[in-house]
Amino acid sequence: MDDYQTCPKCKTTKYRNPAMVLMVNACGHALCESCVELLFAKGSGACPECKCPLRRNNFRVQLFEDPAVDKEVDIRKRILKEFNKRQEDFPTLREYNDYLEEVETIIFNLVFDIDPTNTNKMIDNYKKENKDITQKNRNRQSQEEMELEELLENEKAQQSEKANLYVNAELEEKKQKHKAREKLIDELMFSDADAKSIVASHVQATAALAKEQPKAAAQSGSAVVKSSKFSSGIQIGLRGQHTNSFLPIPKQEDLPLYRYIAPIFDYDGPPPPTIETLGKLNYFANIRAANVTERAGGYTEAMSCCRALQEAMGGLFYSPQSTHKTAVVTTIHSTQDTDDMETT
Amino acid sequence: MLELKRALDAKGHCLLEMPSGTGKTTTLLSLIVAYMKAHPHDLTKLVYCSRTVPEIEKVMEELRKLMNYYEKEMGMEQNILGLALSSRKNLCIHPSVSKEREGKVVDGRCYGLTASFVRARHAADDAVPICQFYEGFDAHGKEFPLSPGVYNLDDLKEYGQMKGWCPYFLARYTITHANIVVYSYHYLLDPKIAEVVSKEISKTSVVVFDEAHNIDNVCIDSMSVKITKRLLDKCSNSIQILETTISNMKENDSKRLEKEYKRLVEGLRDASIARETDMALVNPVLPSEILEEAVPGTIRTAEHFVAFVKRVVEYIKTRLRVQHVVQESPAGFLRDIHTKVCIDRKPLRFTAERLASLIRTLEISDLTDFSPLVTVSHFATLVSTYTKGFTIIIEPFEDRAPTVPNPILYFSCLDSSIAIKPVFNRFETVVITSGTLSPLDMYPKILDFHPVIMTSFTMTLARPCILPMIVSKGNDQVAMSSRYETREDTAVIRNYGNLLVEIAAAVPDGIVCFFTSYLYLETIVSSWYDQGIIDQLQRHKLLFIETQDAAETSLALINYIKACDNGRGAVLLSVARGKVSEGVDFDHHLGRAVLMFGIPYVYTQSRILRARLEYLRDQFQIKENDFLTFDAMRHAAQCLGRCMRGKTDYGIMVLADKRFSRADKRSKLPKWIQEHLKDTNCNLSTEECVQISKRWLRQMAQPFSREDQLGISLLTIEQLQSEEMQKKIQQRAQAV
Repeated sequence: MDDYQTCPKCKTTKYRNPAMVLMVNACGHALCESCVELLFAKGSGACPECKCPLRRNNFRVQLFEDPAVDKEVDIRKRILKEFNKRQEDFPTLREYNDYLEEVETIIFNLVFDIDPTNTNKMIDNYKKENKDITQKNRNRQSQEEMELEELLENEKAQQSEKANLYVNAELEEKKQKHKAREKLIDELMFSDADAKSIVASHVQATAALAKEQPKAAAQSGSAVVKSSKFSSGIQIGLRGQHTNSFLPIPKQEDLPLYRYIAPIFDYDGPPPPTIETLGKLNYFANIRAANVTERAGGYTEAMSCCRALQEAMGGLFYSPQSTHKTAVVTTIHSTQDTDDMETT
Repeated sequence: MLELKRALDAKGHCLLEMPSGTGKTTTLLSLIVAYMKAHPHDLTKLVYCSRTVPEIEKVMEELRKLMNYYEKEMGMEQNILGLALSSRKNLCIHPSVSKEREGKVVDGRCYGLTASFVRARHAADDAVPICQFYEGFDAHGKEFPLSPGVYNLDDLKEYGQMKGWCPYFLARYTITHANIVVYSYHYLLDPKIAEVVSKEISKTSVVVFDEAHNIDNVCIDSMSVKITKRLLDKCSNSIQILETTISNMKENDSKRLEKEYKRLVEGLRDASIARETDMALVNPVLPSEILEEAVPGTIRTAEHFVAFVKRVVEYIKTRLRVQHVVQESPAGFLRDIHTKVCIDRKPLRFTAERLASLIRTLEISDLTDFSPLVTVSHFATLVSTYTKGFTIIIEPFEDRAPTVPNPILYFSCLDSSIAIKPVFNRFETVVITSGTLSPLDMYPKILDFHPVIMTSFTMTLARPCILPMIVSKGNDQVAMSSRYETREDTAVIRNYGNLLVEIAAAVPDGIVCFFTSYLYLETIVSSWYDQGIIDQLQRHKLLFIETQDAAETSLALINYIKACDNGRGAVLLSVARGKVSEGVDFDHHLGRAVLMFGIPYVYTQSRILRARLEYLRDQFQIKENDFLTFDAMRHAAQCLGRCMRGKTDYGIMVLADKRFSRADKRSKLPKWIQEHLKDTNCNLSTEECVQISKRWLRQMAQPFSREDQLGISLLTIEQLQSEEMQKKIQQRAQAV
């Protein structure tokens, strides 16, 4: 029944030579690999059947039983690269369908060599007219493809997740069973109570556990079921909505407004004079006044003076027991500082 | 009855387990018919689905009895029309066509004689043969509907002969206005047939699925497709035929093709209108999306479509050329087919519809040749329609013969709820019933519906007429089990043999044994030969064995019945899930004992099963083990139920496996068996088992008359109306 593949040139069959591979070229006639090498030693030549000129490096391994199908698929791929308008490009479905039929006719004509001049003219016309759309669509995946892609990804993710989940659950269950049994045996060995009552209580405990479990499973299950509401997989009404929708608008949560609280510094020493009082207390007499360029950047001498004073007085009362406390306080300062920065 | 009435009142679905032989059919029929009479507007029709033709006949017999009773009591002709419907094969009366044995051939030939274009041709040219019965029906049958009454298959044929009308088409036509329709599951569940036959059944019908313990498998089968290499080769042939016919037609009669083309451009609108008005049952193969859209341009003209189908077929052929097993989802398949042969999903979805349209247009009268192509088109439509609940498995060879290349593509449905969903959605009340539905809670899960009533009934019996026992060890205290590890253990096999021999010595008449698989049966029987157990057995009884061959099995069965009838006594070795376990009853002396050797688990290595288990786990949160146990126990119960076919019957049920005594298995047996399974009978050795059954048999062998049952399992009208009884009934009604 199964007619073995035969090379039309040398009549080798797949049965006699299992290593034989048939190749096809643009004309759709098959040749075995060795014949190709022999006939096309120069790199080009004519097809032994239809005498059309062929190049050797256009030979491909025949994928289908019928070489004509190989040829057709080849042409189709070539044509569809150009004719790649999508349904979105047409105002009505009817027009889209008409377009599809036209494409099909072109392919059909090419495959069976019907009216080649006209067909080629049609293709060229089309190419000229729709250059930009073709370019644009080439980079765009069709809606259907995207849907499929999405589905596949979902499937993969779900599978790995589920597998993990169930393996863990099963392990857990086994462990629990084992534990319960050991507990029972232990109790039977060491307890003074009546053996029957121990067994009875054990049975009750396991029954209660068993009751709980399906509940938990049902809960986790309901979440799963919701996400896949249509078990048949038909997404009625959802098509087109979720594929080209925008990103969801980020939801703002209503939190109470931020209120600034002045930080309480713990210097662990006598309180240093504040920045406002420095001038009065005449501290500036001892340091270099800020020059003009420095002032322009917002620097005043009061700042460095205040910092120096804080440093000088901070930690004067320090004793080793309180190390930890001060450390904590300083970190708090730093975080609060950054907070301030953000709010301003 | 009470539960059923509640379900009818609530217009919800229900799930009832009633032991076989307790008048399940009669109960259902009488209540529903009475309900139909009382509320003629709420309930217009009863659709009773059964499994096989003999079962259909049985139901018709019950219905006839009921109608006769009505007539006697009410004293007048009842205005109820009930009829059975079966395939053309069972109903055809055409002198030559009806001689064909294969159903498909009959269908094809019938189509060749009755299709509209054939008849048109006949009108022009008398030489074209047509079916005179169909002509008769078409000319007169539609004006004169069947008179009320009960018609089974033979009655229909007779009526057809008398009038010269085709009984098949008469029955199909009458379905729309009959009050009671009895037919096979497939007419409702298989989407391809349901579309044709059950489309116009009104919404206010009650649907009953009898013997429904395997309903999930029927659903799955109806949506699954199996494609072999042979089938594809045949497809290529029929594609060639299509090509030549198209080119012929183009030359001679291109108008018709043009007409079809125009219709396709307009889309399949007319069908969509019918659906909108809720006239028809939703067809899961043909999702509503298709109806709203026109056929895509790529497959609109006939030549393009043929080339398209050719590419699909060639593509599947390349897929079949694999070296190792491939499993993928429909989405993966679609992507691959898109990259390899540039076929989009949308035209694929229209394949089935387009092919049907093309065949109609081409006026091809011999449909049998095209069945492979139709299969492939169904596959294409299904695979592009459903992305969930299905899986594709390609096996390059069978598991048993890994050297012989025999590639098969299984497109298997994993979700049994898909096929049955339209039925649940359309009809207000669906009753699912069988003798063995335990564990009940599994069915709503796997069929995805919400029953309002779910009950398991027990029997009220005057005497303990079943004796279920679990035998867990042999006389030598070696545990008996069909576990995989101990399968080959000679001690276990010998113990099974001894059990059978001793039971055969103690029990009169027929004994039926069930094994877990054909393979297991064969290995055990062969080692029994070596151990001399067969010789010992044949001293007591004759031995018959079920084989995979249907003809051989029915011969064995006939001889088994003969041996039991004349008192010689016989043992029948058969297989759970086999033909014997499904459709054959062993009532009274034909089955005094049933032995179940091992737990009938399915072959768990099958990839389709694995895929289904995984799906059940992910979608319905059913653990693998739970489903396997459920499946095994329902088959075990089905086997055990074979020996009990009524209240006067009695039989021993031996479950010979240690694992049966575990709580998870025991609790899954039907309630009516569990009720009689005492704790003391749960861990017996062979000897103890024989002792108990001897004592029990002596008790059962006492004469048992109607008087003994009176007041307990059989009530006279006086007893029924007595105050005490009425109180009891009231109590029970309120308790539920």
